[in-house]
Amino acid sequence: MANVALGLELDLQRREPLVLRWYRAHLSTLRGLLSLLLVGLLWEIAGRSGQWPLILAPISDIWAKFLQLAASGELQRHILVSLNEFFVGFAIAAVFGIFLGIAIASSDAVNDVVDPWVSAVYATPTVALAPLFIFVFGIDAASKMAVVFLLAVFPVVINTATGIRSTDQVYIEAARSFSASRGQIFTKVLIPSALPFIVAGLRLGIGRGLVGVVVGEFIGARAGLGYLIFRSSQAFQIDAMWVGVFLLAGTGVLAVIILQRVERRLAPWRQFQLK
Amino acid sequence: MSTNGYVATPTKLELKDISMLFSRRGRRFEALRDVSLQVAPGQFISIVGASGCGKTTLLRIVDGLSKPTRGEVWVDGRAVDRPGPDRGFVFQHDALFPWRTVLDNVIFGLEVQGRPKREARERADVLVRLVGLTGFEQHFPHELSGGMRQRANLARALTIDPDVLLMDEPFASLDAQTREIMQAELLRIWRSNRKTVLFVTHQIDEAVYLADRVVVMTSRPGQVKAVLDVDIPRPRDLSVKRTPRFLELVDAIWKMIEEEVKAALHITNTDGPSVHQVMM
Repeated sequence: MANVALGLELDLQRREPLVLRWYRAHLSTLRGLLSLLLVGLLWEIAGRSGQWPLILAPISDIWAKFLQLAASGELQRHILVSLNEFFVGFAIAAVFGIFLGIAIASSDAVNDVVDPWVSAVYATPTVALAPLFIFVFGIDAASKMAVVFLLAVFPVVINTATGIRSTDQVYIEAARSFSASRGQIFTKVLIPSALPFIVAGLRLGIGRGLVGVVVGEFIGARAGLGYLIFRSSQAFQIDAMWVGVFLLAGTGVLAVIILQRVERRLAPWRQFQLK
Repeated sequence: MSTNGYVATPTKLELKDISMLFSRRGRRFEALRDVSLQVAPGQFISIVGASGCGKTTLLRIVDGLSKPTRGEVWVDGRAVDRPGPDRGFVFQHDALFPWRTVLDNVIFGLEVQGRPKREARERADVLVRLVGLTGFEQHFPHELSGGMRQRANLARALTIDPDVLLMDEPFASLDAQTREIMQAELLRIWRSNRKTVLFVTHQIDEAVYLADRVVVMTSRPGQVKAVLDVDIPRPRDLSVKRTPRFLELVDAIWKMIEEEVKAALHITNTDGPSVHQVMM
């Protein structure tokens, strides 16, 4: 039965012209590209009109500036500085956050002690503490890493704890019925079941961490993409400012796409549930 | 028909005066009262009763997932109070781990016991074949139909080669045709390995079709109301369900359960203030 149905389906697909099939398969991508293209075009026109010189530079000028900054090697320096700050801060946040989340979920005592702090600090706009961090950790990378850490760690902690706690009791009982030890239940049931939550927490952390880098560099830095944006806007170099903004946007999008891939690999069953 | 579960053959599994009290929202209620049952090796026992009679609780106690308030479970002449490799549990709901493939789910029990990977893999392959899931080893549970998931569930419980198989309404969520197919499949598998089975269901025809003996339970608190011997020769195929003897047995059990439900509707709960209990 199933084979017959499948055969028919294949047959129908074969009869469609290749172009049409390609179009159908990539329709949503095409629409997205079209949208980008259209806005880009409007941007270029608006920029060329010279009406808003402090806000908009034409896309073509931004591109030219990008090439110029890249050729001088200045851009690479800024990128490396920001990436380094981001990755170190985020890596520490990820490791620490996962461990703290696990501790909170597995011990009521830890939860009772830590939870008020997590809730309170998560609810405050911690970016406000960035100036303090510059005082404490200095103007170079360490202060920015600390800001990234502080911003990124909370979604990781909260998601890890929630993920472990929301493990369906049925799975725990199934493991128990096979005489699994507490440790085995932890590694073979709780962690895999929480994994999609943890990855989602990391994804949120990336977004917040990038904000941390930029804000940290706004307040006090000698290099980095945030510093480039801040300095350029102060000097009315709107094209250079936009180069920094686009690069940051690109980094964010790339990071989220990579983690979505990771999520799909780690938790193929979640994709199914979400549909 | 006998009113207690006594059999003259050696005993594989024995439930001794099991009682269970729960307290929920400050009120205590009695789920099970003095349930005793003796099961011979290789016997297939179905347990039926109105919903809320504590069938599932009883099965969980036998597995060691819950501790009874009073009473003991004996397997091979030893009291057991926690899950062990001598008992396998097939859950009512889909309890396969969604993050594991069929094969990895089936292997789970052996993996937890720390058996060598190759041995576990070979054993799992045998069981996957036994339940008819060959070719689906690398599928995830969400990619399978309800019937296939319950096959995998059964295979997972069987990998640790338990002497006693505890099944908690394993076919309840399946459609009528799939359920009948699974019943026939279960009998085929049972014929090949002769496990001692406790099978909880609220489908009376399912209970009779599968079992050597059917235990009928009273409404809350659950007690053994009667144990009926199913004297229908094996191997049974689905046509058995249309024979007069089969219908007679089903009818007799129906009447008993109906009695219980009616009684429960009229009796006030002795545990709390006069609340009329509504079962089913």
